Amino acid sequence: MNRRAFLKYSAAAGVTTAVAGVPSLLRSQAPEIKIAYLQSDIHHLPLWVGIERGIFEKEGVQVKVAGIFKAGPEMMSAFAAGALDMGFVGNAPTITALANRTVRLALLAQVNTEGSAIVVKKDGNLQTISDLVGKGVAIPGHSTVQDFLLRKALLKLHLSSDQARVMVLKPPEMIGALRTDQVEAFIAWEPHPAKAQTMRIGRVMAHSRDIWKDHPCCGLVADTGFLEAHPEKAKAIVRGHVKATDFIHRHREEAVKIAIKYTGMDEETIRIAMDNVHYTCLPSVDGIREYVEFLTRLKYIKVDDTLAFLNRLMRPEILQEVIGR
Amino acid sequence: MKTFPGRNQGEDVHVLDHLQYRIENGKFISIIGPSGCGKTTLLRIIAGLEKASTGKVLLDGHEMVQGSEEVGMIFQEYALFPWRTTLQNIEMGLEIRGVEKEKRRSTAMEYIRSFDLNGFEKRYPRELSGGMKQRVAIARTLIMNPRVVLMDEPFGSLDSQTRNAMQEFLLGVWLKRGDTIIFVTHNVDEAVFLSDEIVILSKRPAKIIQRKEVTLTRPRDRTSEECNKIWREILKLLEEEMKSEGKDDYRRSILQST
Amino acid sequence: MKKESYLLPLVLIFLWQGLSSLQWIPSYKLSSPVEIVLGLKDLLIIGMPPGNLLHHHVLYSLYRVGLGYGVAAMLAIPLGLLMGWSPRIRKMVNPLIEVIRPIPPLAWIPIAIVWFGIGIKSAAFIIFLGAFFPILLNTIAGVLSINPILVEAARTLHAKEKQIFQKVLFPGSIPSIFVGMRIGIGIGWMTLVAAEFTGVKEGYGVGYMIMTARDIQRPDQILAGMLVIGLIGLLINLGLRTFESRVIRWRG
Repeated sequence: MNRRAFLKYSAAAGVTTAVAGVPSLLRSQAPEIKIAYLQSDIHHLPLWVGIERGIFEKEGVQVKVAGIFKAGPEMMSAFAAGALDMGFVGNAPTITALANRTVRLALLAQVNTEGSAIVVKKDGNLQTISDLVGKGVAIPGHSTVQDFLLRKALLKLHLSSDQARVMVLKPPEMIGALRTDQVEAFIAWEPHPAKAQTMRIGRVMAHSRDIWKDHPCCGLVADTGFLEAHPEKAKAIVRGHVKATDFIHRHREEAVKIAIKYTGMDEETIRIAMDNVHYTCLPSVDGIREYVEFLTRLKYIKVDDTLAFLNRLMRPEILQEVIGR
Repeated sequence: MKTFPGRNQGEDVHVLDHLQYRIENGKFISIIGPSGCGKTTLLRIIAGLEKASTGKVLLDGHEMVQGSEEVGMIFQEYALFPWRTTLQNIEMGLEIRGVEKEKRRSTAMEYIRSFDLNGFEKRYPRELSGGMKQRVAIARTLIMNPRVVLMDEPFGSLDSQTRNAMQEFLLGVWLKRGDTIIFVTHNVDEAVFLSDEIVILSKRPAKIIQRKEVTLTRPRDRTSEECNKIWREILKLLEEEMKSEGKDDYRRSILQST
Repeated sequence: MKKESYLLPLVLIFLWQGLSSLQWIPSYKLSSPVEIVLGLKDLLIIGMPPGNLLHHHVLYSLYRVGLGYGVAAMLAIPLGLLMGWSPRIRKMVNPLIEVIRPIPPLAWIPIAIVWFGIGIKSAAFIIFLGAFFPILLNTIAGVLSINPILVEAARTLHAKEKQIFQKVLFPGSIPSIFVGMRIGIGIGWMTLVAAEFTGVKEGYGVGYMIMTARDIQRPDQILAGMLVIGLIGLLINLGLRTFESRVIRWRG
């Protein structure tokens, strides 16, 4: 074709591309909040409910799941790398990461309390905490809340945690280890204790609420850089979270279905697991403080001024604004 | 007394053809021939490292068994065990035979002394010169007192001065011991200097062209007229052999392989 | 000459410390040399997890490696000598070796745990797999690389097959065997740390230590741990080389 025609065609092509590109350009400028959670961790149900029911969208924000992690410390690494804006994660890794200054996070709201359990072999003869002395007990990691719960349980009986043979395993591996007698007990977050029960391998020796009532577990955190740049968006997420938590209480059946979808586990397991979890948005300052002191005592972190640290960690004003108290 | 009739065929290559020979005890025999004629193969058959397709090797009328104690071999590349000291190399054969340590040591030390290797007992082959290495190899073989000593161009890797020295050394050793030696070489001069009899082989497939006896008294003067005469005769024979097309042989071997 | 080889690393370390002090390299991304040294101090005195001290971790890891590597050497060297010596055995065993060899040792972890449980046996098994093949292959190569003329010389000295094996094939392969052993221990040590990442029973091991430091968010200790691992690997290699030069005195 001659030059004129060629120029005409390329001009047309250029304009078409530009026009076609505009919507995607607009879309990419829509605020997508990069949020993460822990794989199959039923404590994070409010996030899944918020996504499924479009609750966040109704608050005017787009949420993008930017990571599904196997454990809290992994999510902390992602925060450190600047890959996440907000996350649903345990208070334990949040505190250690913040204290050891590898991340800049703020705790905006609680996600749940309780929701763990000590599981022993179904047909075994371990009955009470004192039976754990000298036995192999699996924990998800050092300095986790499960680690603390185990110590607290033994301490109540004036036993030290050294008296049980503690071993670190990933929670999905714990059931298998229990079945093959690699360990005599494990303590993990739901739904792993529930799964052990429905698989008829284990039974609960103690729920975490029996060891420490209302102990903090998971929270909603935000990168402080993100928080300072987009406080309104963070608030919108917190608002959505509060509504989603409320939804779980009011519409349990719907919530169960969503939990099944996101964990891939069966209904019986989900129901048992959810019975053990207390979904709440209010952080327990006392619980978190006790936790900070525990970690300091065991030399995992070095926090000299607990109060100052708690101030650095928590942003109660955001939640107060959202709830309107 | 050793006889070897033999023909060896490897992969349709006729290496040796109807060799028949008889060697008497205590004689120094050299085998000379054009390159690739099969001299080394012949030696290896006698040593038992290869098998003749037809024919056998007889020692005193009895057939020789491969790997028997009656034959020793010295290689052009010395073949010393690099991880063994001079002393350990020399006593290798005795060790294999099961001789106990004290006896081995003392016997080996005798050889070290008489072969002028003093001070090098604990050295490794890589620390020795070519001439020394070959002396160690010869000691290693002779210490076993084999009935026949085979030498495959043992001085081929040495420079001419060392070579002459080694020839004199070998002569000295042989005159004292009287072993039966079959010595393969390229070097006519060397053969004339050392041997009682020189066997000249043809091109492949090798036949015996001629046997030349050398009756000159030893030690021989390399530059003497008699030596030169023999040298020239042998050289002429070899030159003719190299020149001749050997058409008949070639045609024959083609026919045989089809 | 020796001074110059220390110069470059020293300059780099100073540069690194400078950049870190200015926070041009943020400390959560890469700890400064000083922080690493302090982290090392904590590992030695307090331990990670607290109470589990560094030297105990090291000893446990060395024990695991020693076990897996020892078994690997004890099996691979004789098998390698045999396979080098007998073409028939070589042809028989080779296919099996060539199929198993490419499988990374770490891929065996789930099966190892099912077979041996979580503990020293499964870790030693993984290390065994890592160390076995280099030792085996180098041993075979060692036998095959022996100049055939040496075997012939032994034959002319009336050596029987068994004696040829003992007095020629084995001593002649020793340099190659050592090469295989050095490669094997290198791979074994690397495999161990990764194998420990997945879990240990006793609560000790350098890989486990690093994994815990990661959980507790102590990047300085992670790097200090890595430094320790590298140093130990270096020392092991040096040790083997020294042993080798004692045994093999006949080489140039």
